[in-house]
Amino acid sequence: MEPVVTAIRQVPLEHYVALSFILFSIGLTGALFRRNTIIILMCLELMFNSVNLLLTAFSAHHSDPGGQVFVFFTMLVAAAEVTVGLAILVMMKRNVDSVDINQLNRLKG
Amino acid sequence: MVLLALLLIPFLTALALMLARPTNTARHIALGSTIASLGLVALIWWSYVPGQTWVPVKFDWAPTLGLTFSLGYDGVSLLMLLLTALVFPFIIAAGYRQNLQHPSMVNALLLFTQSFLFGVFTAQNAFLFYIFYELSLVPVFFLLLYWGGERRRAITVRFFIYTLLGGLMLLFGLAYCVTQTAPISADFAVLHALRIPADTQVWLFWALFLAFAIKLPIFPFHSWQPDTYTMAPLQGTMVLGGVMLKMGLYGVLKFVFPIVPFGVEHWRDTVIWLSIIGALYAGIIAFRQQDLKRLVAYSSLSHVGLLCAGLFAWNVYGTGGALYQSFAHAVLVVSMLYIVGALKERTGTSELGAMGGLKGKAPRLAALFFLVMINAVALPLTQSFVGEWLMFNGLWQVDGWMAFAAVATIILGAVYMLYAYQRAMLGPDRWKMEMPDAGRNDHLYLVPLIAITLVLGLYPAPILDLVNGPVQQMLSTLTALN
Amino acid sequence: MNTTILAALVPGLPLLGAIVIAALRRSLKGNSAGLLGTLAIGSAFALSVMLFLGHDPAAGPYTAHLFNWIDIGGMHIPFAFQVDALSLTMMLIVTGVGTLIHLYSIGYMHDDARVSTFFALLNLFTFAMLLLVMGANYAITFIGWEGVGLCSYLLIGFWYTNPAYNYAARKAFVMNRIGDLGFVLGLAWLFNVTGSLTFTEVFDRVAGLGPDVLTGITLLLFVGAIGKSAQLPLFTWLPDAMAGPTPVSALIHAATMVTAGIYLIVRSSVLFELAPFTQDVVLYTGLVTALVAATIGVFQNDIKKVLAYSTVSQLGYMFVALGLGAYSAGMFHVTTHAFFKALLFLGAGSVIHALGGEQDIRRMGGLKGAIKVTHLTFLLGTLAIAGIPPFSGFFSKDAILANAFDRSPVLYALLLGGALITTFYMFRLYFLTFWGAYRGDKHPHESPAVMTVPLLVLAVLSVVGGLLNLPHVFGGHEPMKHFLAHAADGIGAERLHLEASTEWMLMGLSTALVVLVIALAHGRFAKKATLDPEADELPFLPRLLARKWYLDELYERLFEKPYGWLSTMFHRVGEGWVMVPLMNGAGRLTQRAGQVLRLAQTGNMSFYLFAMVAGIVVFLLMTLYGR
Repeated sequence: MEPVVTAIRQVPLEHYVALSFILFSIGLTGALFRRNTIIILMCLELMFNSVNLLLTAFSAHHSDPGGQVFVFFTMLVAAAEVTVGLAILVMMKRNVDSVDINQLNRLKG
Repeated sequence: MVLLALLLIPFLTALALMLARPTNTARHIALGSTIASLGLVALIWWSYVPGQTWVPVKFDWAPTLGLTFSLGYDGVSLLMLLLTALVFPFIIAAGYRQNLQHPSMVNALLLFTQSFLFGVFTAQNAFLFYIFYELSLVPVFFLLLYWGGERRRAITVRFFIYTLLGGLMLLFGLAYCVTQTAPISADFAVLHALRIPADTQVWLFWALFLAFAIKLPIFPFHSWQPDTYTMAPLQGTMVLGGVMLKMGLYGVLKFVFPIVPFGVEHWRDTVIWLSIIGALYAGIIAFRQQDLKRLVAYSSLSHVGLLCAGLFAWNVYGTGGALYQSFAHAVLVVSMLYIVGALKERTGTSELGAMGGLKGKAPRLAALFFLVMINAVALPLTQSFVGEWLMFNGLWQVDGWMAFAAVATIILGAVYMLYAYQRAMLGPDRWKMEMPDAGRNDHLYLVPLIAITLVLGLYPAPILDLVNGPVQQMLSTLTALN
Repeated sequence: MNTTILAALVPGLPLLGAIVIAALRRSLKGNSAGLLGTLAIGSAFALSVMLFLGHDPAAGPYTAHLFNWIDIGGMHIPFAFQVDALSLTMMLIVTGVGTLIHLYSIGYMHDDARVSTFFALLNLFTFAMLLLVMGANYAITFIGWEGVGLCSYLLIGFWYTNPAYNYAARKAFVMNRIGDLGFVLGLAWLFNVTGSLTFTEVFDRVAGLGPDVLTGITLLLFVGAIGKSAQLPLFTWLPDAMAGPTPVSALIHAATMVTAGIYLIVRSSVLFELAPFTQDVVLYTGLVTALVAATIGVFQNDIKKVLAYSTVSQLGYMFVALGLGAYSAGMFHVTTHAFFKALLFLGAGSVIHALGGEQDIRRMGGLKGAIKVTHLTFLLGTLAIAGIPPFSGFFSKDAILANAFDRSPVLYALLLGGALITTFYMFRLYFLTFWGAYRGDKHPHESPAVMTVPLLVLAVLSVVGGLLNLPHVFGGHEPMKHFLAHAADGIGAERLHLEASTEWMLMGLSTALVVLVIALAHGRFAKKATLDPEADELPFLPRLLARKWYLDELYERLFEKPYGWLSTMFHRVGEGWVMVPLMNGAGRLTQRAGQVLRLAQTGNMSFYLFAMVAGIVVFLLMTLYGR
């Protein structure tokens, strides 16, 4: 572990923040404006991972393992989320023969 | 451990009934369970040291919320446990003559209710209390929804939402109180030691009190009650009127009085007058009711108004009397509703217009009805008299006019009860129905209840001693605060 | 035997009798229920006599403490009996007259199917009445007070298939409850200021109370007395209460229960002595009631109704005595009235029995030959109530009149007028019933010995009862007054400042006038053969009186109808238009809010996501720059 942490520390924190911000923005934009559900799911994943990256970076820089522990939680939840999401996606493909998010417009009150 | 057992006996029996669904033996099993609970409570009562708060069960559940699972009891809790345990065997037994569908489910729901009620009355943590308080509503909800009478869906939903609304306010008030503690704790002991600024208490009072005001209910929060009581299956009404409304009373004692004493002082006259107005209002309405069950609902409303007024008199006579009366009222409601059920079983209706002159054919039933009725009109040497007498004295200490208005209910009570009795039982036999007189089962059911009424009316000391200590202690703490 | 046990047995035996008879009511055949009931009361009477003989009035009250009834906070109410001169007097009346009436009932109720229930209730009544008079504190008295009301309700409505009787029973109970309202409030107030309800303690502590408080308390207690003792404005239940069997009317509605109000005031004489205003209220209420009821009595045609109004009127006299502070005269009249009014009611019952249920005096007449014992005893009772010397009524009524004269001659004149009206209607009743020609169609027959023996005993008591309190002018020394003075402090304070010559003159005057009125009644009614017309055909004033001053109609218009209307209105308007819609409104508001908010749910996923992000951004900005 120690070498990895040292390695991470060699890059200044600002760079991680900038990278995470870029990744998160890409993910967000994609999730908001793309219509393909698969892409949206991938974008969500991207946002998760940008946050994970940031958490890891902070954790290493502050010598606090809590952040890394939290990343595991996030990954776990993300995995669960993706499972459900893909299951929905399969059902969607089967039912409406499309993966366009706008096809799911029957969910209104 | 005894307290855990108390919660678990009905809970596990209910689970078993729900899973196994025995049709024929369900009532026997449920009755056995409630009798076991009664035995257990009797044991607790026997070993109780007066004036003590005893918390034998306590472990952390969610410390960040201040939620601990702690059970215990003092004299007031014990009184409530006693009345719950005492009344439930009768509630279950009332089911023998009802022939509802799916008896195992009905009894399971009733036992769940009992378990949660035990939880409410033993919880020593405010959140735990809240959890049990709202949980107890769930089985009753299903009971009303599936076994109720006409318009059951609309009425049940209305009842549910209305009481839930009160519960929400309680949760809010509770959350506010808990945030004021450091370290965070919702134990009653901690909350009672809380000193909340007087002007905060003025509004916090209603946040805490509204739930109980609706549950009791007092005027003008009562409008769910008559419909619900009338529509509910007999056993459901017994649970609602006999035991569940005592949660409101108990809640006031546990939450409102000790936590917001200045708020109580500020609103006391308002609450007492509202309660008394409600008592008179319901008493007047009851006079012209055509449906006996609805009449009982309004009479209960009237009694509860008086009860709440006595409670808020805030002296040993008023509060002690209200507690005593809550016990008397539980017995009264169950016996009165049983009479309603017995009449309905025989005549096929609870409309008073369709009865009349039944005494000729069922003299023993009429006699039993009469004995129950004298408790309802609070004649001396019945249990209700002791309670009402104490409450009148307590109210007089507050204000003579309050006492005057409260005592006026005894006239109204006599007017509507005697009129109802006359319409049902006396007069010429107009309908020429064939009907059996009260049989062995009816006597087995009503005679113990009437005996309790008369014995505790003649010798109320066992119950009075139970409440005397805690009430005096609470009042002296409050006096010290002012 | 221990006095405590003895005292507890006095009410205990009737209670036991009631329970045993009620429990065995199906297996008791024939007269056994009646005999059991009579035995229970008779033994209670014997015990009362034992207590009386063993009681030393100078030693003060004996308290028989049984157990603590209500004990919470500062309220200690023991279940205790007090044996003193006053309670002993009442006990002897209740059990003594009660025994005779029980005995009589064996004959009277012989044919009734529910005779066992009847005796159980009669015993229960006696129990409650004994609690009332023996209680050592106001709370025990109140138990009895309500208990006698309950038994009265049950016995008035004893023949429950008749709706009119049920109505009468309910009316009696509710009117009594209105009185109880005052009683309960008075007790609450009394407890609040003295911290006790035990007689001896209360009377020790009242001296320090302000006059306003005492006036308030005594007025409230008097409201209770008004209800129970049938005074204006709550007397209308008593005539209706005649719906019950005649022995019930004799025991409850003439001899015992209705005198409970007088007992209460004599018991509380210490309080009333300190509240002169209340005393005046008592005096004038009694006076007005005595006159109003007497005037109504003149035009009644039901034998029992006449007696009922006479009872109300006589109770009015007793209240006048109490208002004058002449407690011993009031109690003396209670005693003699118990004798002669019980006698008259039982005699009326015997007449009704003889005629197979007929109660209308217009269908009687000429019965003096047919039912000799009843006639003789009834005549003695009538002479007693009219106040002919040396019958008991003369002495007791004269004591009240003398006290009234001492206060003011006008008062005396009014009361004397009332007494003359009493004489008139009682002799009207007597002549119409027993003289002239028989106007009915049933064959009269004399009652059995079980009924006539009580009549004879009561007749003897009515004749010689005056000896109990023989005044000084006749060479007596008022033994009853001196006996009672030990129990009720108010009696010790009584003063009567009349010269012997004045007393002789007053007595002579009243006796002469009474004889005159009897002659008048004889002239008008003794040979009457035609029937009186129905009330509606009378001219205005007699119609007003025959219709009881239209009080019943007034109350119906003023209270009963509006109350029913109020009940309906509260239900229809209060519940239907205000309360339930208010609650439903809350539900509907929620629904409306939902309808508005659901517009935001477009179903477009991208929109949801966008909204979510926008929300997050807003929160983010708020946390960063919000404060």
